[in-house]
Amino acid sequence: MTTSARRSKRTEALEQRPVNLDGFVEEWPEVGMVAMDSPYDPEPGVRVEDGVIVELDGKPRAEFDFLDQFIADHAIDVDATEQAMAIPAVDIAHLLIDPRATRRDVLAVTRGLTPAKLLEVVKTMNVVEMMMALQKMRARRTPANQAHATSARDNPVQVAADAAEASLRGFRELETTLGVVRYAPLVAIALQVGAQAGTPGVLTQCALEEATELELGMRGITAYAETISVYGTEPVFCDGDDTPWSKAFLASAYASRGIKMRFTSGTGSEVQMGNAEGKSMLYLEIRCILVTKGAGVQGLQNGSISCIGVPGAVPAGIRAVLAENLIASMVDLECASGNDQSFSHSDMRRVARLLPQLLPGTDFVCSGYSSTPNYDNMFAGSNVDAEDYDDWNVLQRDLQVDGGLRHVPEAELLAVRNRAARALQGVFAHLGLPPITGREIEAVTYAHGSKDLPPRDVLEDLKAAQSVLDRGVTGLDIVKGLDAAGFTDMAHSLLAVLRQRVSGDLLHTSAILTPELETLSAVNDTNDYAGPGTGYRPSGARWEEMKRLRHVVSAQNPEREVG
Amino acid sequence: MQRRCNVTPLTVPGVTTPSQVDLDPGRDYPLAARRPELLKTPTGKRIDELTMEAVLAGEVAPEDLRIAPETLRLQARIAEQSGRPQLAQNFRRAAELTALPDELVLSIYNSLRPRASTKQQLTDIADELESAYSATLCAALVREAADVYERRNILAS
Repeated sequence: MTTSARRSKRTEALEQRPVNLDGFVEEWPEVGMVAMDSPYDPEPGVRVEDGVIVELDGKPRAEFDFLDQFIADHAIDVDATEQAMAIPAVDIAHLLIDPRATRRDVLAVTRGLTPAKLLEVVKTMNVVEMMMALQKMRARRTPANQAHATSARDNPVQVAADAAEASLRGFRELETTLGVVRYAPLVAIALQVGAQAGTPGVLTQCALEEATELELGMRGITAYAETISVYGTEPVFCDGDDTPWSKAFLASAYASRGIKMRFTSGTGSEVQMGNAEGKSMLYLEIRCILVTKGAGVQGLQNGSISCIGVPGAVPAGIRAVLAENLIASMVDLECASGNDQSFSHSDMRRVARLLPQLLPGTDFVCSGYSSTPNYDNMFAGSNVDAEDYDDWNVLQRDLQVDGGLRHVPEAELLAVRNRAARALQGVFAHLGLPPITGREIEAVTYAHGSKDLPPRDVLEDLKAAQSVLDRGVTGLDIVKGLDAAGFTDMAHSLLAVLRQRVSGDLLHTSAILTPELETLSAVNDTNDYAGPGTGYRPSGARWEEMKRLRHVVSAQNPEREVG
Repeated sequence: MQRRCNVTPLTVPGVTTPSQVDLDPGRDYPLAARRPELLKTPTGKRIDELTMEAVLAGEVAPEDLRIAPETLRLQARIAEQSGRPQLAQNFRRAAELTALPDELVLSIYNSLRPRASTKQQLTDIADELESAYSATLCAALVREAADVYERRNILAS
């Protein structure tokens, strides 16, 4: 073909479609550019001698890398493994989708499976079967959702207001991160204050380097942690400056302070970091899932996460992403199931990518729905953001599927945004931090993003952020500040969140706090799905709430909106 | 505030250990709501003493908002009975770490990073965990790491 070849009008139209801005590549198994079906993935197998796994997926113990050894010694149930491994993969897949087999029945088998066997099981399943399995295997009966609240200028006032709005819209966890890391203490305080302005009991975290993240948690400036990354090959794990043992120790460190935490992993990270050892992305991710299990961590954020462009570019990549969420749930971990970093220019593709988690429900459908416009998202954008709120609510209503959110009338949103900003103003004043002006509060009440806000004195803020660390400010000081400023209800709910670390109830699998400040986890809200008519289905007051949208007309009078 | 007077008879140490408490996840979890009488801060306060009034009166310090090792061992039993042995083991290691200052916890974590420590340094940490803090499970984890790091050549040279 010559460059002057005539093109059809249809080709020209298709060339203009946003999906053609996305990147697609051929498979290349030798470097790990393959989703879940590599000729170099090992064959499943296990051999036990004297209560020790001496051969794992065809590799003798003397050749184990550190992941193999950690998984063999800590993740796999030695007493169950030989019997479980003897079951054909397709029979285990049948067990997963058969509603007459309970979640507990499946767990009795999966506790003995090796990485290659788990891979073999999901390879027999198509996406609909995986969704059916996920519906049963999700640990917590009631699904929930998590939002990002960040600011391109690290503006704490914005983060407080967006956190308040997100909290009122229904998110049970909020996560922030920074452009300028030194801003972290102020932004983390803003997130925690704002979160309690919406509905009580929303948990917050700040994604930072591991040691710093732990320090903010120990001070009670954050309520939980998530950015504890694990990787599927030894060289990449070491490049991340950790090992399964350092991460297991870190997990115990969090629990020793009563702080909830989960690990993070995802398909594509090893090939992106240049050392996939020729294995498929999903095989390596399964190793991460089992390291998490072996470390005794209650849950995992996975679903490719910040590497979504990699599986998104290869055949069956999004199927593999669903498979990794399913396997986390299959081994009884809480799953915060991705749908965070943006990966496609196509609206159709964005929705298709999130339905496999939204329809069956997961512990957190998004592990980062952006509560801001795209330009303010400091996690490099999200698959869904503040401009998609109405679409999300319509999807929930159309399909009667609970994605954790609700429509909130504008007046209520303005009220909580304003209240969060005023509360932060009070806390900053109480702690001697740089003032928040009335002009800022007015602006943030009505703002969409950071461009709508007056700039802050960044140098003064950064000095103050350092002083928060130097002076040893803790969550208790924030409680006192809220009370001193007259926000007693928010002070009470923040104290309730802090008090949770004394009881440790939130350390259990899939734990969240309800707006009534009750703990809901896989222990007291166990997923009991057993086929049609069972399990969690939105009904009653929650379904009535889901029926409300920005524009719904009255059945009696089509001229009138019932909102 | 008057409730504080009633504390003393219940704080006799060693009367009931976590392993002796009759515990049923279905009945007793969440502990804060169902079995608050089992929960004490490491400073000896009851969880229902951590009120707003007490905070404002300056009677609650950051150390009062920590979890006690006994509580972690109760939660370990709940995890175990819920079919989660690894989670239970993590809680038991955590119970041991409650005795360590924050800085020491952070420094041991950093020592466990790849190529951060020699085998002797890791062995010394394990010995200290055991002798100074009776942290036998954590010591075992560190010793196991030392062996694996040696075999995989990721000790500090």
